[in-house]
Amino acid sequence: MSERWRSAVPSILSVLLALVVCWIAIALTRDVKVAGEAYLQMLFGGIGQWPRYLDGGDVGVLARPLGESAGKAALLILTGLSVAVAFKAGLFNIGAQGQMVLGALAAAVVGAQVSLPAPLHLPLALLAAAVAGALWALIAAALKLLRGVHEVISTIMLNWVAVSLVDNWLVVGPLRAVSTGGHSVSGTAELLPTSHLPRLLGDISRLHLGFPLALVVALAVWVWLIRTRRGFETRAAGMGAEAARAAGIPVKQRAAEAMGLSGALAGLAGAVLVLGTEFRYPGALGAPYGFDGIAIALIGNNHPVGVTLSALFFGILRAGGTRMQLLGVHKTFPELIQGLALLFVAGRLIWLALLKRRKAAVASPEVPRA
Amino acid sequence: MLELLEALLFSTLDAAPALIFAALGGVLSERAGVVNVGVEGQMRAGAFCAAVAALAMPTPLAVVMGMLAGAALASVHGYLSIRWRSDQVVSGMAINLVALAGGTFLLEALFSPNGTPPIDQLPRWELPLIHHVPLLRALSDHPGLAYLSLVLPFAFHAVLHQTALGLRLRAVGEKPHAVATLGLSVAGLRWGAVLGGGMLTGLGGAVLSTAVLDRFEQHTPAGLGFMALAAMVFGRWTPLGAFGAACFFAFGNALRIGLASSAPEILEVVPQGFLLALPYLLTLVLLAIQGQRSSAPAALGTPYEQESR
Repeated sequence: MSERWRSAVPSILSVLLALVVCWIAIALTRDVKVAGEAYLQMLFGGIGQWPRYLDGGDVGVLARPLGESAGKAALLILTGLSVAVAFKAGLFNIGAQGQMVLGALAAAVVGAQVSLPAPLHLPLALLAAAVAGALWALIAAALKLLRGVHEVISTIMLNWVAVSLVDNWLVVGPLRAVSTGGHSVSGTAELLPTSHLPRLLGDISRLHLGFPLALVVALAVWVWLIRTRRGFETRAAGMGAEAARAAGIPVKQRAAEAMGLSGALAGLAGAVLVLGTEFRYPGALGAPYGFDGIAIALIGNNHPVGVTLSALFFGILRAGGTRMQLLGVHKTFPELIQGLALLFVAGRLIWLALLKRRKAAVASPEVPRA
Repeated sequence: MLELLEALLFSTLDAAPALIFAALGGVLSERAGVVNVGVEGQMRAGAFCAAVAALAMPTPLAVVMGMLAGAALASVHGYLSIRWRSDQVVSGMAINLVALAGGTFLLEALFSPNGTPPIDQLPRWELPLIHHVPLLRALSDHPGLAYLSLVLPFAFHAVLHQTALGLRLRAVGEKPHAVATLGLSVAGLRWGAVLGGGMLTGLGGAVLSTAVLDRFEQHTPAGLGFMALAAMVFGRWTPLGAFGAACFFAFGNALRIGLASSAPEILEVVPQGFLLALPYLLTLVLLAIQGQRSSAPAALGTPYEQESR
């Protein structure tokens, strides 16, 4: 087994174990038949209803679920990359949630308040979101590098500051949409259509430009991290600050860059949510997307390719989860699977130890153990 | 005016215990060198199990169940971070995610998506003399656990600084190798701290469902665990500091709610969201001023390996 595969094994086994545990949980609370049916529905909801399509259904029964999965996956890819990039620099960014809130807000403001032709408006909104997310993350970076404040604590605090200020003040106060026609609306004003991420398949599916965009970003992060000198220096700084400093790498600068990039990626995730599906900053962001990013990054072993794969997988489960509801199974099941998978991945060393023992036993079966 | 102050004091004392217990749980674990970002998840487990248990048994016993649930979740954290030297922040976050999603699932599977049925609240103690004195009256009519939360930080402080056990606990968070040199078990001490911390955090959650809310709700504890972490950091990892910070946050919260109901015009000037953000902003500012390294335990977050130095 090559080294690259070996490092992926704990993640794969963890996800499988999480799937099994959750299957048992459904089987215990409902029954075995429902559990099997629920997983099947989750799969159909995630990758398309193939049986119906093969029975002569229209292409929509495939495109609709796949579009939903892609939309969820785009968010997970971006937040996952955000956490992974910081991790590679030796920083634990728990603040993807707050950075995403700021990014989403910036995208919503630019999308609604600025009027430009579409080829300029959309990129400007994306840029604004990335900058807002980066600036929010740089507060934590500055506190760490200048004052030695641990980023785990500062980003947790910054999350709550962002949520309190944006969700409980700006969005319900100064930036609240002006109600039209008597009924009040929650969230900020509706975006101008020029800032929307365009739909790729028209009315058949909600698949929008955000998904390919996320894939391109993942590719760019991979190139930066693995193929450029800066990326190498960042990784070196993350693996051991002392050694990197001795080798002449400006460790603090690389850490700050990585944190800024991390925030920018989380900000972009906010933009994709707002410009692709919500079309305004909603009353509240709705889900702990930033925390999902932590799970995705760690299950993906903090590698851009691993993050993308794990985001695609959980994007499919997320989209499929809504279909499980038809059977009366709770739709947060994919989140439970994700959380358990992260818990099992946290025991990465256990998996590796099990593998090693196995390998040793296979390699030298006759040697008696002391 | 006096009545307003009395009401403020009363609701502070109502909200503070959950925060105090959870913050103390964080302090106990982290002073022994094990990062505990799973406070939120442990509180959720404690709150849920206490609420469920209270449907079948007397509420005080249910509180104990909540503590055990917190310890059970903490033992997962301990197993991963002490036995297997996993990244403690990862394991803590995983616990938070599992408790969040698992709690929602169990709630839905056993009851309704919104919450458990109402449960018997913990009995409230009417303090004999104080009960009739204006202002001081606010101290009366709280559950016994509220009074415990006022005493416990001082007991914790005394244990930490006056006993051999306390010295060992502090040492294992600062310099585990020194503790090992004395022939003491680093893992054993850390296990004790993690389990004890889990029980305290679970107790914090149990107070929420058995005394504050009278049931377990969908989003319990709704970020209070992270607030407890903030209190721990704000209080510089000391029991008394964490206690003070938790009371301060609880007072701030009571003030915010009190203002919103009695003087809504103030919220026109100072927005609600700004007041919500204030404790976290304060924590950040304080951290920026003091520089954190001075007060966090030196070995916090580093797994102990016998062979390493």
